[in-house]
Amino acid sequence: MMGTGRKTGKTGKSGIEERFASRFLAKQEKTSAKYLRRVEELGEMPEALAPFLDTLRRVYVDMALPDALRGKTLIGTYCVMAPQELVYAAGAVPVKLCSGNYTAFSVGDGNAPRDACPLVKAVEGFCETGLMPIYRDCALMAVPITCDCKKKIAGMLAARSRVFPLQVPAGRDDGDITQYVEELYRFAGILEDVTGSEISWETLASGMRQVGRAQYELSRFLAWKKARHGLMWGTHILAVMHAASYLPADVWASSMRRLNDELEAKGEGSGRPASRKRPRLMITGSPVIFPNIKVPLLIEELGGILAADETCMGERGMSDPAVVVDESFDGMMRALANRAVRPCSCPTFADNTERIYRIRQMVRDYDVQGVVYHVLRGCLVYDFEYQLVEEVLGEMGIPVIRLESDYNEEDVEQLKIRLEAFIELIKFRA
Amino acid sequence: MKYYIGLDGGSTYLKAALIRGNEVVETEVRSTGIDNNGTAQKMVEGFCQRHGFSARDIGCIFATGYSRKVLDVADDDISEITAHAYGVRLTAPKGYRPGMIIDIGGQDSKIIYLDRDYAVKNFSMNDKCAAGTGKFMEVIAQILETTIDQVGPLSLESKSPCDINSTCVVFAQSEVISLVARRYDRRDILCGMHQSMAKRIVKMMKKNEKEGDILMTGGGALNIGLHAAFEEELMRDVYVAGWPQFNGAIGAALIASGRGDRHRVQAGLGL
Repeated sequence: MMGTGRKTGKTGKSGIEERFASRFLAKQEKTSAKYLRRVEELGEMPEALAPFLDTLRRVYVDMALPDALRGKTLIGTYCVMAPQELVYAAGAVPVKLCSGNYTAFSVGDGNAPRDACPLVKAVEGFCETGLMPIYRDCALMAVPITCDCKKKIAGMLAARSRVFPLQVPAGRDDGDITQYVEELYRFAGILEDVTGSEISWETLASGMRQVGRAQYELSRFLAWKKARHGLMWGTHILAVMHAASYLPADVWASSMRRLNDELEAKGEGSGRPASRKRPRLMITGSPVIFPNIKVPLLIEELGGILAADETCMGERGMSDPAVVVDESFDGMMRALANRAVRPCSCPTFADNTERIYRIRQMVRDYDVQGVVYHVLRGCLVYDFEYQLVEEVLGEMGIPVIRLESDYNEEDVEQLKIRLEAFIELIKFRA
Repeated sequence: MKYYIGLDGGSTYLKAALIRGNEVVETEVRSTGIDNNGTAQKMVEGFCQRHGFSARDIGCIFATGYSRKVLDVADDDISEITAHAYGVRLTAPKGYRPGMIIDIGGQDSKIIYLDRDYAVKNFSMNDKCAAGTGKFMEVIAQILETTIDQVGPLSLESKSPCDINSTCVVFAQSEVISLVARRYDRRDILCGMHQSMAKRIVKMMKKNEKEGDILMTGGGALNIGLHAAFEEELMRDVYVAGWPQFNGAIGAALIASGRGDRHRVQAGLGL
């Protein structure tokens, strides 16, 4: 509720606050509805896409909790580094709260330094207004400390919610893994405290099975995607992945199974958006989060196809299953730490050769012809890696364009000019 | 042999180029005004009248530039990056090895990297602020009571160029005004302005793109003072394109000629 924050300290809503709340809600709904409409206007939607779009509509347009989350203890997480398996083991449901919301950004903008990234500003905006159920109703917020902005937002969120800052190592050797295992034990303790239920061998194994089902369906989907280029619009796949942020893993997995079955039944040819002529682009760099999907939308509206998504809201978080070698409780905890740290292509790691491998692999797997390097203003860690990525792609003969953007629509024309020219460049090369 | 026309609807001027058999026949520039398409249509009609051919002799018309989508007189359109890259095939001086194009337009500046076969490898653009563009030069020329065509020659007479540090056109303008108030020679101010523009644009360049030669295009290439500032800043030879202002239009015309003698839809062209 407005007024519970540090601004007033009063419990009742004043007229000013009420009017602010209704304006905030109206503006937020309008923007989100517009982007959902643009997603639908791309056309050629598989029928099984509906539940994913409905989830985004429920959260951002109706501003309500999806049915599958009602009555559940919600744990907010801010990154793929926080293992969801542990949250399920504690009988709770994780939701990913990294935000791409322009309206929330404009509120949070005033509370963070100018050069802070828009993602944390949008998170701060939602938390400050207290108008967004999915943020308001979280029993705990687990914030992996992957950059300076995340570190400071963890501190700021603590004014209104219970927060657990998850210390992420800067390296990936055995010592770093041991350190992360300890951190996950601390996380487990906090989760037990918040939910009041014990994390046992059985509940952790069940949590891992639940996430495993989602990972299995995703791997099935990715196999289709690799085998049949242009299977679906990249923006539609993005919506599928974003919906996973607001659904329990088993619910998402069953919607995903229906999508996979539909794609399988469709067979070659029919209803595929990508003609051969569409340049096949990959997006990498700073997170692309609904409704800030202007770059992927522009790519596909301007004649390209988003063939691969290397950002952390894409397949990164779910494509590597935890591999349990030792079936003890500690063995499972180690498996989770290994999975979170070793294959992760997040620039939080000092040495991120992992990302270079991943990008090279994805360029080959998805027959990528050009790369869009997305940089959110203030997102230094991703911007740092641009030069290396440009160099590596240059060696492969793949053109790359760095697009800097922020959470507003003022730069759309400039993004458009660049993307149009970039898409043309690839068409003329082909 | 058919005629091909390229139209470049820029922020400040509308440029048209008429080519035939890979030769530039005529170029024309007019203020963009508010009726882009009407102006473009008049320019096409003018070409026909002056060279004694009819609409049927036009193979194809391509549009480029900011207003390319509203130029209905054109058969198709192409982005300015591609158009400029094509234009240099006809406008680059003899001996130019394809490498980098610096385009100084009315309200943006861009750098385009070409491979050996003139294909676009990459590009960077500045279109978020007017600093380092033709508009910026116009504003400064006005303050210094001169005209845009005199800015270059005057600056070459400078003995000790002023330092201009502001990176924004509005602040640079106030900086220039204060230099005028302190009675600095306008030739030194202009020379300083060119150096600061060149520095700003050179910062946009990618450090690992060093192959080939550098070519200046766009209205800004007509400014010999700016050209000198680029050579000084880059410490390399900088070539100037023939018909620099028309490079985009010529490129669009060349792309039109590559499109071949498609049957043209003559809608809107009252001939």
